[in-house]
Amino acid sequence: MASKSTATHLIRADKVFQNLDGAEDWGIKGYEKRGGYGKELKKILKTDPKDIIELVKASGQRGRGGAGFPTGLKWSFMPRPDGVRPNYLVCNADEGEPGTCKDRDILRFDPHTLVEGMIVGCHALGAETGYIYVRGEYYDETSRLQQAIDEAYEAGLLGKNIMGTGVNVDVYTHLGAGAYICGEETALLESLEGKKGQPRLKPPFPAQFGLYGCPTTINNVETIAQIPSILKRGVDWWTQFGRPNNHGTKIFCISGAVNKPCNIEAPMSISLKDLIEEHCDGVMGGWDNLQAIIPGGSSTPMLNPEQSGEVLMDFDALRELGTGLGTAGVIVMNKEVDVLDVMTRISGFYKHESCGQCTPCREGVGWVYRLMERLRDGNGTVEELDQLFDVTKRIEGRTICAFADGAMWPVQGTLKHFRGEFEKRIEAQSKKQGAA
Amino acid sequence: MSDNLINLTIDGHEVSVPQGSTIMKAAEKLSIEIPHFCYHERLSVAGNCRMCLVNIEGAPKPVTSCSWPVSEGMKVTTACEETKEARKGVMEFLLINHPLDCPICDQAGECDLQDVAVSYGSDRSHYCESKRSVDDLEIGSKIKTVMTRCIHCTRCIRFATEVAGVEEMGATGRGENMRVGTYVEQALQSELAGNMIDLCPVGALTSKPYAFTARPWELVRTPSIDVMDAVGTNIRVDSRADEVMRIVPRENAEVNEEWMSDTARFSYDGLARNRLTTPMHKVSGKWKSITWPKAFEVIAKAHKGVDADRIAGLAGDIHSLEDLYAFNDFMKDVIGTDNVDGRMDGYALNREDGLGASLMNTGIAGLEDADAFVLIGTNPRHEAPLVNTRIRKQALKGAPVLMVGEDADLTYTSTHAGTDIKTLETLAKPTTKLGKLLKGKENIAVIVGAKTVLTRADARAQIREILSFCEKMNVARKDWNGFNVLHQQAGRAGALALGVTPEDSGMDATAIYKALKGGKIDVLWQFGEGDTSNKSLSGAKFSVYMGTHKTDTAKEANLMLPLAAYTEKDGLWMNTEGRVQEAKAAAKPPLNAKEDWKVFRALSDVFKSTLPFNTLKALRENMMEDWPILSEEYWGTKQEFDIAFKVGKATVTDTAYTAPVDSFYLSNEILRASPVMAECAAENGAAKFKPNMKKVS
Repeated sequence: MASKSTATHLIRADKVFQNLDGAEDWGIKGYEKRGGYGKELKKILKTDPKDIIELVKASGQRGRGGAGFPTGLKWSFMPRPDGVRPNYLVCNADEGEPGTCKDRDILRFDPHTLVEGMIVGCHALGAETGYIYVRGEYYDETSRLQQAIDEAYEAGLLGKNIMGTGVNVDVYTHLGAGAYICGEETALLESLEGKKGQPRLKPPFPAQFGLYGCPTTINNVETIAQIPSILKRGVDWWTQFGRPNNHGTKIFCISGAVNKPCNIEAPMSISLKDLIEEHCDGVMGGWDNLQAIIPGGSSTPMLNPEQSGEVLMDFDALRELGTGLGTAGVIVMNKEVDVLDVMTRISGFYKHESCGQCTPCREGVGWVYRLMERLRDGNGTVEELDQLFDVTKRIEGRTICAFADGAMWPVQGTLKHFRGEFEKRIEAQSKKQGAA
Repeated sequence: MSDNLINLTIDGHEVSVPQGSTIMKAAEKLSIEIPHFCYHERLSVAGNCRMCLVNIEGAPKPVTSCSWPVSEGMKVTTACEETKEARKGVMEFLLINHPLDCPICDQAGECDLQDVAVSYGSDRSHYCESKRSVDDLEIGSKIKTVMTRCIHCTRCIRFATEVAGVEEMGATGRGENMRVGTYVEQALQSELAGNMIDLCPVGALTSKPYAFTARPWELVRTPSIDVMDAVGTNIRVDSRADEVMRIVPRENAEVNEEWMSDTARFSYDGLARNRLTTPMHKVSGKWKSITWPKAFEVIAKAHKGVDADRIAGLAGDIHSLEDLYAFNDFMKDVIGTDNVDGRMDGYALNREDGLGASLMNTGIAGLEDADAFVLIGTNPRHEAPLVNTRIRKQALKGAPVLMVGEDADLTYTSTHAGTDIKTLETLAKPTTKLGKLLKGKENIAVIVGAKTVLTRADARAQIREILSFCEKMNVARKDWNGFNVLHQQAGRAGALALGVTPEDSGMDATAIYKALKGGKIDVLWQFGEGDTSNKSLSGAKFSVYMGTHKTDTAKEANLMLPLAAYTEKDGLWMNTEGRVQEAKAAAKPPLNAKEDWKVFRALSDVFKSTLPFNTLKALRENMMEDWPILSEEYWGTKQEFDIAFKVGKATVTDTAYTAPVDSFYLSNEILRASPVMAECAAENGAAKFKPNMKKVS
């Protein structure tokens, strides 16, 4: 066992989620043994919230939920509690992005990382109440999380006057009803309030007008769960991993045509090829058998093999290639896969999950799906490929939330990389019809 | 103030607007049109249609102008290629699933989607998939739905939730399966549902009674005033060839904003049914059509040798100021009787008590300045739905609403404080649980239900107690007069203002009913239908009914004279806040029916004591000379009136207040003649009511 983390591998001590594989005790005893809670937590709770936010800012941690917005900056938008309206911290555990399953393993195998993160986060934001909104499908995981919360209450780590520091934090879990859009932060708030899960118009932003009209910060599970480790181990520890502006460790979820699909915590800026070769035993049929990779959940445009061989897995490197790190849900497709069919299927997913609020998304996503369905089978014309692109451009950036963008990027990515494949099928189909 | 102004430029034009305004508002100031569907001034901002996208210099993507707040130095472009492209895109998305059924759509010609498509859309689409079709909803007799046309702007949902206060409309389903509807299919339980028809930018929600009857471009539009309640809603009567085809609201921020109640909107079919169209005389129990001269002969004969003290005149509930003025002068000067009353339900106050004691002193819009409400014997939801929406606005902001009288669902949180006058004592004590709710409230509005409280036998004692409560609570002071009386009848305020009441020793309505029973009235003039509180009008040797409809009471009379309904004559109306508003004739009276004042003028000749006016103009001039508060300069404005109520010694009884309205949809003769209103009443739980359609032969 190496004694020092490398660019591709983390030693156990450098991992935030040391029980991500579920091999050890998920309970409070196991977590404390792994360095959770303890005196160091007490020290953090005694630290001035402003200083905590400064530390988080200094670490440069970027949100792990997809958008990659700097956490410290987000936290600094929150007003201090004014005694009239309470502040809230809401944890977004509505992990719905296809290809992503990191939060699930945190919830079921290392739930106390999240609970500790909620305690610290609430303290830093001046919130006395935290909500964890979990997707409806994660029923068992929520039960596990609830047990962890109960354990924390019993140990005096939640509730009034935590560890004698005078900090009060209550944490509640809430199960969603399985809508993808409820992962969008303002739709999540609507759903949490008991309304139809539809994104809100911004401004006002949740930091001013969030849950029940009160200042609210919404963070991803992984983001929150990493905070205590950053504070305990120090900013320097955190920034040793990854390139500037992309520091830290990250859980990557690799699925699809790899020999060993897995959730793995690795340093940021690991190369995509290393990630697959080192942690997943390579692509099925070898690297040369690779056809395309979706790097960050189904919303991100795909990479071709050439790009996949060179790109580093971080926010900036992927953005330069016109895609994104997203949730780091890596979906690998080798040459046995019908990419057009996969993308049509993803398109169908977005058609099904659009909330229906904004015109372009409500009407357009279905249109795009139907076009994709036809063009996948070659039923169409080459002009319709341009039209498809045109339609995606008319949807992108014209809606309340980023859902429509996320629904259109993969289609645009497909057109970019597989236009030839579309044309081939159209030609074959027209020949077939001509013959008939 | 100037500190709060924000300067920005839109399409190169500079404009300053107050902080917090939206780009849409700023553009409005510059008369720059930004197309939109979901945005509506009086509803919350949804920002979902995406039609109003504009570009802001430096912003990464276009923003919705309906929601984006202005900021200093902002540079907005509304007509650049990008926004044009965005609008075209949104237009195409809206149209791909919108049916091309304009030729059979009632909205065509006044459809936002049509208009905007012409101005901002493309002339072709490249959509070639199947269109979506959606099942229609059955939501009652008022609104016809063609849900395939719905563009999901959610205006109806927001109206129902925010203004009407009935959370019956909502969206179910996601994405392209999103459906606007009532969750459970049922008739809408709202008195304001019809407004959704106006709000719907497309033909998804259209008027059911109006369906396929006319096209907007065939209609003649006449400004008028609604008379179904005492609010004085500003309406536009659309007619074709002297037939009223529909009624829609006009905007008046001080009265009805831009809403109207369903009784006002849908009752026009009652104007065409069961009408009295020619004078009729009852001869040996059978009705016979006669001519006007013949009718006058009958009247003259009936009056021969009758002592004026044995003649009485009652004016009903729906009369314009001119008509009441002519009636009053006719009875008092021509016939020479003082037994005249325009308060058929027994309303106890008169002009001498000061109009302030009988009107809504805060004004309807002024209710929005109140921070607490005490409703005494009134259910504004049913008596005046548009007063209720004003109260609701304040109630949603946290103003307590205390109800004294029958408890009712007012569409907002109200506290049922008690059922009788004694409750006010509790309310006046700040230590009691109820009194605490009013503690520290500066602008309390007290609303007294005229029908319930002021028609009681002890009405004068009631009003004394209420006024003393007002004094205790500092409700009526120099800068705030929160004492309000809410009437139900459109003509009542006018009758009080014109003094259509006995002047000296004449009998009032209650005394007239008694005298009729005792056989002390020889001739009864019954001018229009009024609420008699179940008192009989029979007993006179001869009675004349003048009115619009062949009502049951009309048939008790010996002679019926046909008059013009409110849509058929020019007239002035005074609403419950004392605002005088002018209505124009939108149609001609049916067949031989005449305008009311003309009939009195002609009758005065019969009695050889000609009334001094030959035209409506002359009548108005006379009237305004007699009653300066009705002068043209005050038309449309809310005037201040004094309370001159003299405290009497009558004893107050603490019997509970009764419900003010039996059925919202059937409260006057026009409504009772309307089949649509009968259906609405049935849908809203009233017993099945059959309009009186039988012909009088």
